[in-house]
Amino acid sequence: MKNIRRLAVDVGGTFIDFVTLDPASGEVAIEKVRSSGELDRQFFEGTELLSLNSADLGMIVHGSTMVINTIVQENGARVGLITTTGFRDVLELGRGSREDIYDLFFKPPPPLVPRDLRYEVPERLDSEGNVVVALDEPAARKVIGALREKGVDSIAICFLHAYINPVHEQQMVRIVRDEFPEAMVSISSDIVREWREFERTNTTVLNAYTQPRMDRYLAALDRELTDQQYKGAFAVMQSSGGITSTAIARQAPIRTIQSGPAGGVIGALRLCQEIGVRDAVVADVGGTTFDVSLISDGRYLESSSTKFNRRPVLQPSIDIISIGAGGGSIAWIDREDGLQVGPQSAQADPGPACFGLGGNEPTVTDAQLVLGYLDPETFLGKRIRLDQSAAASAIDRKVGEPLGLSTVEAAAGIMQIAVTNMSYAVRQITVEKGHDPRLFSLICIGGGGGLFAGSLLNELEMKQAVVPQNAAVFSAWGLLNADYREDVVRTFVMPLAEVSAAELRGRFEALEDEAKSWIASNTAGGHDLSVERFADMRYLGQEHTIRVPIRESDINGADLGDLRKQFDCHYERAYAHALPDHDLEFVVLRLVATGMIDRPPVSRIGRAGSPAEPMEPRSIYLADEKKTMDCDVFRRNELSPGKKIFGPAIIEEWSTTILELPGQAAVVDVFGNLLMTRES
Amino acid sequence: MSRIDPITRQVIRNAARAAALEMQTTLIKTAHSPLIYEVQDFGVVMTNRLGQLISEGSALAGFLACLPPTIQSGIRKFGKDGFREGDVILANEPYDTGTHISDVALYVPVFFDGELVGFTSVMAHWADIGGTAPGGWCPTTTDVHQEGLIFSHDKLYDGGKRNEVFYHFILNNVRQPAAVGGDLNAKIAACQIGARRYQEICTRYGADYVETALHEVLAQSEKRMRSEIAGFPNGTWSEEAYMDNDGVRLDHRCKIVVTVAVDDDTLKVDFAGSDLAATGPINHPLAGTAALCGSVMKYLTMPFDPTNDGHLRPLVVTAPQNTIVSAEYPAPCDSYGYVAEVIVHLLIRALSKAIPDRCPAATYQMYAFYLSRTDPRYGDTFIYGEPVDGGGGAFPHDDGPSGIMFVGNGDAPNVPVEIVESRYPVRVTRYTFNPENCGYGKYRGGYGVIRDYEMLEDHIMLQTSTENNQNPLWGLAGGGQTGVARTILNAGTDSEKHLVDRVSDFGPLMKGDTLSIRTANGGGWGNPTERELDRIRDDIKAGFIDVDEAVDAYGVDRKALLTVPDSTI
Repeated sequence: MKNIRRLAVDVGGTFIDFVTLDPASGEVAIEKVRSSGELDRQFFEGTELLSLNSADLGMIVHGSTMVINTIVQENGARVGLITTTGFRDVLELGRGSREDIYDLFFKPPPPLVPRDLRYEVPERLDSEGNVVVALDEPAARKVIGALREKGVDSIAICFLHAYINPVHEQQMVRIVRDEFPEAMVSISSDIVREWREFERTNTTVLNAYTQPRMDRYLAALDRELTDQQYKGAFAVMQSSGGITSTAIARQAPIRTIQSGPAGGVIGALRLCQEIGVRDAVVADVGGTTFDVSLISDGRYLESSSTKFNRRPVLQPSIDIISIGAGGGSIAWIDREDGLQVGPQSAQADPGPACFGLGGNEPTVTDAQLVLGYLDPETFLGKRIRLDQSAAASAIDRKVGEPLGLSTVEAAAGIMQIAVTNMSYAVRQITVEKGHDPRLFSLICIGGGGGLFAGSLLNELEMKQAVVPQNAAVFSAWGLLNADYREDVVRTFVMPLAEVSAAELRGRFEALEDEAKSWIASNTAGGHDLSVERFADMRYLGQEHTIRVPIRESDINGADLGDLRKQFDCHYERAYAHALPDHDLEFVVLRLVATGMIDRPPVSRIGRAGSPAEPMEPRSIYLADEKKTMDCDVFRRNELSPGKKIFGPAIIEEWSTTILELPGQAAVVDVFGNLLMTRES
Repeated sequence: MSRIDPITRQVIRNAARAAALEMQTTLIKTAHSPLIYEVQDFGVVMTNRLGQLISEGSALAGFLACLPPTIQSGIRKFGKDGFREGDVILANEPYDTGTHISDVALYVPVFFDGELVGFTSVMAHWADIGGTAPGGWCPTTTDVHQEGLIFSHDKLYDGGKRNEVFYHFILNNVRQPAAVGGDLNAKIAACQIGARRYQEICTRYGADYVETALHEVLAQSEKRMRSEIAGFPNGTWSEEAYMDNDGVRLDHRCKIVVTVAVDDDTLKVDFAGSDLAATGPINHPLAGTAALCGSVMKYLTMPFDPTNDGHLRPLVVTAPQNTIVSAEYPAPCDSYGYVAEVIVHLLIRALSKAIPDRCPAATYQMYAFYLSRTDPRYGDTFIYGEPVDGGGGAFPHDDGPSGIMFVGNGDAPNVPVEIVESRYPVRVTRYTFNPENCGYGKYRGGYGVIRDYEMLEDHIMLQTSTENNQNPLWGLAGGGQTGVARTILNAGTDSEKHLVDRVSDFGPLMKGDTLSIRTANGGGWGNPTERELDRIRDDIKAGFIDVDEAVDAYGVDRKALLTVPDSTI
């Protein structure tokens, strides 16, 4: 069993990445298929290209962008929404705020369920979950009949205070099964057990909206794999960074909204464990976006609320800050003569000006080419020959001339603005959360990560920058390092003073039972289980909370005094002050259950045949030095472990180029990672 | 001084913006009062050492433009050498700060290498300021002293040391000392974060370089704003509007007159002809009036660029002394918000003659309320208040947004029903759109909302903030006027009662009493007979309008509408 290969399938915007891994040696094989057309067919196209026989695979892990794409493109199912009487418009009322304060034409995004598909059912709970008005069954049946009449595919149900007592929502499910068995049903208490009716309703609606397509897709894959005699586990990456069964992903597709970027973070976490790093910033530089997340003390940072396409989603998720800064980001001059980079991107079509595919706008890639960082002849394994004069003329026209700068000055300016934009995103996830980036390593992944590693290392004065092998398919490899995970969450608003350690233990035990029975019924078994407990807490009178780990010693101790100290400590770190005399309260309890998979080893690189000699030096322009310098160029696959390279230098691999700045040194480790540090 | 290179200048500009946003995050996350963490009733700014706005957060546009003049008047009071590192200064005299005394400006001088380089500041609505109305918004005061505590640039911290007498004096004179004290900590933390970031920028580039670069940024913004205004046709336009009453003299409707002149690259706004300051507290100080005019200029030209001092330079605002829009001591100003909304929409209406495509119809007049119990003998005390969303004015190209915050209150989200019910002894029994149709037009105004409450305990007092229910705001280009707000007690029972005017300390409401709040539609844009049939059909399908009403309002052929299914079951 142990030697059966594992497959990761990571769907991205332009390509689907396939990585297979030998769990004994850690050795990997890689394939890419263009992502266009029917996704389920392409899934098997990749396995064929890798000459894989599904029956020989031990495990398949899938990173899917289906849910996020359906939400961004707004092409999901026809959904009917059922609410408590009096609250039909919750979804459309939203929070009512003018998010752009100076925009007189501001409008919130239109609701995904139009008003004529939103129905009310008489029922009511109070804020403690007591039934105030019993669910009106005949009225409920009538409503389901109307939705059936109107041809909805999927029904979302969100009643007030169902986060504390799901009884009426569950009763509604039974009625739907009776009256309209072919409809899919999403109830809020299954999807999110947290208060705030608009955000919970929206999350439930997005689940209902994406469910039919995700269900069909995963069902087709399941069927095909069964036909191919596949016997192993087929798992899907969740936003939380843990994998789950396809059965759960089909019921609760909203859990997979961040499935795509999650793989990179999990891979980075694994990498950190191998190289002995506890604190890291993970920076994923793609063509359009810069996604940044944080690993602190060996854990990745999480959040429970995120917005997608301006719509809020309450789900446990890796905390990822995404800004429009990548290789394709367009440089432009704003109306006050300020240079801006992004968020607009030239994407793959027409692409940067230097691609010669009709793009006229100067992009980050054009700047990198003009500065000499990219080799026009070998870009993307010689797939595209880059046009230097097209890049230079786009930069001159749109940036250099308006600002009175030479071509290289303008190009260096584009890089500098891109780097500072990226550094604010890193600051947001470090400094604003009370972490000092100077104590963190920077893990640069994605196709564009290598050219920013050195600049970000300097800009944020970080400890070191790490560019792993195969950085461009790193996310897919990351999928193969994820464990099964189930989050159980309960809103529990209660002053700390009124809760004993024993009561807290009891509450967590109930959550634990739920999580364990889930792991048992959704995996083949044989996974070691571990449990972690957290509480979202705040000072009495506040609204926003801080998440604090609850240790065994807290719930088994005599009182919760230590927990109080721990909260003050976390608060102090985040906000530079604490209120040790102020009362505290619980707001949400969270339990994370993990079913561990066997960790495959990470493959090591061998010693190259001959010592690496630099190729012909290339002349590059450096912004800090304000001059053109000759720099050594190396082929990455010729570098042996222990090799040390002093900047300025360029290290090229098939799909990534790495720029090392003057004053920096890079060492190749046994896994082939490039570890860059500032020498001065 | 070396020449400022345009790239570094841009990096510094971005750094100042990032710092202001970080201040805002800190404030929201550490605040104790829902007016800050939910309603976001605050503004956050950074200024240079002259008190000129260099960077802002993104909450209340009106507050943002009020803070720099407040800091400038502090500089006049203390002199440029009168600040020490670690000072925390409070100011809230309306004639100084531009709004009302509940909006206290708190500012901190920023030092680098022992030199004053700038200020960071927060203006936020306090949970209580000790006036006659819990939580502020006194509806019937006749001078500013009835409205609460006044701070005129007083140092709460002097050189890093808290003035304990002053601090305890404040907490002893407000109704919600825990919230007020907690919020003070949050505001100070926010200003300190901003100050630290300011110092980091100076460390990196040098204080002189940063100052010169920021002066250039402001000059670029001024240049840009002047070129925008130069694009408007030259001319002079006047408009007037009336308020229902000032809360004290109920038989007098106050008049506001605005005259706007586009004079090449300068915008001149004058309020000659407006009534003298009112007896009741609906007055607006000139500093706030000028700030609102600055916001309108920004709305209509560059809504997506963060504002700085340069944007405001091409604007000249004048008014005769002590009018309703230029009130002077001791005129009461606590209910200033109605006049603020009218100033904004009146100026837009005047400018719509020049630039019709950029000007939406009026949004609903603000509505807010408090339910409170401040006497502990009747049970746990609480103050629950929030502004209620309503209908947005129609756009020149689309229907207005429904259930949106009024313009002056910016990025203020409503409070979730589930949170209201777990904090306060009330039950929300309905929160839907208010399908009372007004604001017809080629594009119609957005719908207001209905928010119904049931009291779950006794002795709850009500205060409402509402205006322009006899003199509604307007549509543009032939569109219908806005609706009016309604406040109904015990609707549908024998004791049903409509409160047309504002009330304060009304009650007590007892267990089982109900309160129904219904906010107005926005105004319409364009002739209703030009409305596209599809839009009318969509409104019928959504249940917002029935066929009879649609035929009346839009003059559409009844037969064209009969095939539309409605959404009732």
